[in-house]
Amino acid sequence: MRHVSVSLVLVAVGLTAAFCVVVLLGFGFRGPGIADTEPALSVATWIDVAQGTGARNIVSAIYLNVRLFDTILEVLVFSVAVLGVHFYLTARGRPEPVESIPESSVVRVAADLLLPLILLIGLYVTVYGHLSPGGGFSGGVIAGTGLLLAAIVLGTKTVTARLGRRLLDRLEWITLLGILIVGLVPAALARTPLVDLLPAGSPGRVGSGGSILLYNGLIGLKVFVGSWVIIRHFVDHRGEI
Amino acid sequence: MTARWVLLALLPFVAGIALLQRRRLYAIIGMGLFSLLLASVFFLSHAPDVAITEAAIGAALATFIYVLAIRKTGRLTVAASEVPGLIERVGEEISGLEWEILDRAAASLGLDLIVRFQPLEDVKTSLLRGEADVGAGGLIPIEENERLLQTPEHLPTARFRVWGPAEEASSRLAPFRGDLSDLIDTARRGAPLAVELDLARFLAVSRYNLDAYRVAKDEDALSYTFLVSASQPDIHRRLTNLLTDLRSSGDLETMIRRHFP
Repeated sequence: MRHVSVSLVLVAVGLTAAFCVVVLLGFGFRGPGIADTEPALSVATWIDVAQGTGARNIVSAIYLNVRLFDTILEVLVFSVAVLGVHFYLTARGRPEPVESIPESSVVRVAADLLLPLILLIGLYVTVYGHLSPGGGFSGGVIAGTGLLLAAIVLGTKTVTARLGRRLLDRLEWITLLGILIVGLVPAALARTPLVDLLPAGSPGRVGSGGSILLYNGLIGLKVFVGSWVIIRHFVDHRGEI
Repeated sequence: MTARWVLLALLPFVAGIALLQRRRLYAIIGMGLFSLLLASVFFLSHAPDVAITEAAIGAALATFIYVLAIRKTGRLTVAASEVPGLIERVGEEISGLEWEILDRAAASLGLDLIVRFQPLEDVKTSLLRGEADVGAGGLIPIEENERLLQTPEHLPTARFRVWGPAEEASSRLAPFRGDLSDLIDTARRGAPLAVELDLARFLAVSRYNLDAYRVAKDEDALSYTFLVSASQPDIHRRLTNLLTDLRSSGDLETMIRRHFP
């Protein structure tokens, strides 16, 4: 498992480096001391750019479109954090499994009611990221806390068994590769990240905003799986829930 | 607008409260509260995206991860037999000489101190079962046991034999067992009694009228000790160093005089 992760992270880092080179070349790299001939963009221009994407949430429109490059590096930062937790805690060896302490019936009943609700809110925040506040990052974490709740009630072992440990560990990296490829392909085609892989749609509907929905979905899945990986490692190595 | 400024002004106070908590769990809850307030500030500053993320990560996920991280490692569990002056409950608080020493040791180890009061004979069992890290409450050194470590003596004590009214005098009486409050009840009723007590327990009992009983003091030189589970050599080392430091600096004398005037 460990060498698989190493090769995956190498691939990811390589792809990111390639992505950086392509994007920097595409935008025309301007180092320090070289005069910037283009004037800085005004706020009104940014709003115009954002509205051009068809997304109602201007913040999403900027960080998943014209500033997609920054966002992808941010996703990489999160992946490296997950990888760090995974490596250092795996290196400590698997401790004796600790039986989870059964929670009181209050917690169990409340979890039954709250779990579907939390997952639904996480999905909503992710999918509607381009229309209302939210997006993949927050939606993924919200859904991740839902899994944490499930783990408190059922124990991490049961939750991991139901979801599949290997699938989760791999999904974390597969989604990262997905995000990199989806971001890289348009850039490699010598088009700016403003390219939309999905049709623009009519503003205000779920199927609008072009690629933003796709990126939000991928980031949401990635953050959801990543936060669960962190939680599982902490629980496995630090004691029962 | 006003609400935003009020919340902003609250932030440093909540942060300060979180920092000043002695127990880690309370500090973590304080940090969660800080995140929640910060999320409200973001929301009132027309940054709902940031507010959602702050609430989900700062208030929910990070708080839970901290709780998990401290859940098992952050505790120093003490199994103690309640003895006035050494370790006793006073209302909601715990006080006493041994409590004060353990409190300092826990603080220097960065652990939360949790005391479980038990009958004297259960203290050792708890340690051997791994349910507690340190045993306290008027413990007298025991025979060598490789699963239990002893700390240097912190307070001289003696054996007192208390018997009467109808009980036979004997050179060996059964050592004290159970809860001290039961013994005090027996002594106040003047019921038959034949027990061997250590100094702190004898002092606690002698606050009541012992005229009905006969008392004899053994001349053996004895001292109280803490028992530490052998699986916790770090705690044993820290406690030993702390006791040595307290003795050499004279603080131990001051503490003893405060609890046993």
